[in-house]
Amino acid sequence: MSLADGVKAAVLLFVAAIAQVSIFSQLHVFGAVPDFLLVSLVALSLLRGSVAGAAGGFFAGLLVDTASLGTLGLTSLVLTLAGYWIGRYGETTGRDRAHAPFLSIGVVTVLYELGLLVVHFVLGESAPAGAVVRSIGPAIVLNLILTAPVYAVVRRLLRPAEREELSAEVQLLG
Amino acid sequence: MLASSVQRSKPTPYPSKARSALIRRTVVVVLVLIALTLVTISFRSPRSGPVHGLQGAGSTALHPFQIAATRVAQPFRDAYSYIDGLTKAKAENKKLKKELIEYRAAQIRAAAAAAKEEQVVKLLHFVQGPTFPNGYRAISTEVTSFPSGPFTHSLTIAAGSANGVRLNSPVVSGDGLVGIVSNLFPHSAKVTLISDPNSYVAARDLQTRVRGGVRPGAGGTLILDQVQKTEVVKQGDEVVTDGTHNARLPDLYPYGIPIGRVTSVGVADTASFLQVQVQPFANLGSLDAVAVLVPTKHR
Repeated sequence: MSLADGVKAAVLLFVAAIAQVSIFSQLHVFGAVPDFLLVSLVALSLLRGSVAGAAGGFFAGLLVDTASLGTLGLTSLVLTLAGYWIGRYGETTGRDRAHAPFLSIGVVTVLYELGLLVVHFVLGESAPAGAVVRSIGPAIVLNLILTAPVYAVVRRLLRPAEREELSAEVQLLG
Repeated sequence: MLASSVQRSKPTPYPSKARSALIRRTVVVVLVLIALTLVTISFRSPRSGPVHGLQGAGSTALHPFQIAATRVAQPFRDAYSYIDGLTKAKAENKKLKKELIEYRAAQIRAAAAAAKEEQVVKLLHFVQGPTFPNGYRAISTEVTSFPSGPFTHSLTIAAGSANGVRLNSPVVSGDGLVGIVSNLFPHSAKVTLISDPNSYVAARDLQTRVRGGVRPGAGGTLILDQVQKTEVVKQGDEVVTDGTHNARLPDLYPYGIPIGRVTSVGVADTASFLQVQVQPFANLGSLDAVAVLVPTKHR
């Protein structure tokens, strides 16, 4: 990942985090909120790999926690793991698959929501499991709606990395 | 050619693979540890400490961007709120209309029940009151069919011979005399109203003790007939049933059942009797509950 790409990714995540905190967090549709930041992070992770995904998740989570004055590091923790995991998927089985962004969003939305729930629960904060579970379905739908345009924009912004740039532990040798 | 040996190229080593995996894992572990540390510090001292100060500074720095984003999104949010509000208002309007219909129906049911209850209470007062005729018992029942037009002067009640109702038993409401049982079935009976053209009830003015006979008049009123011109009947007097005077010729109606109030008294040169108009106490057009007065002794 070049420096230019790093700057672009940082700007992308900064804008996404600010937009998430200031705009998207107020759009309640059927009890769920579209997660623009998560979709952006997934797109970045798929295109730039696990390290970029983890770092991006950490950075974006830190911004969210700072802007929303929440428990610092909480969102970072969950987004770091989400970015890393999606990045690994993009580096290995998800590479060049057209359905990868949608599948990733579907899975990571569930894991992200449940992950936040678990962390809040562990910290002894309010963890309304019923409300979270009920909102997961609409959240997946909303995030899937955002996936195609966001992924297209991020892909345009960050050209897909060359194979050599990506980690290839599962690469077939022939 | 096939038998010839082929020199395989030397496998390319992947020295960077292990290194990149190590870096990758190190990065994620470090980031997770930093995040956990931040969570711990932030959780332990949410209102003070360096992390709190850092977060405050960060928040202050981010504030202009948040405001800018909010302002940029404001028109879209307004549009969304408008559409959302409109949709919700429409749905709410539909729901409220439905509720209004339900409440109206409930209110009508309640009003009907209250009106019915009022009649039942009046009836109970009459049955338990001092004016209730001796030697009779009351069989309270519901009215199941009502006078359907100007040509019908009868109604059906939900009590019959199986309930102890007898033919020619007087029927009263809480307000006064209604009519007489003219046809009897096991579980129902037909009541001919005092407004029937063939109805005739021996009556007297309660105040002046003047006797006469009540028959139907015009416009739903009654006429106290057979009152001599020499007799005195005043407007506002109450008219009640006269009852039996001769044991050999018992009257169908016991003494003292309220019939109505005198509304006008007229004297015509050509008429033999006073023209006394009586407004019946019982509202014969809207009866819900009545009582059949049955003699306690067989005649």
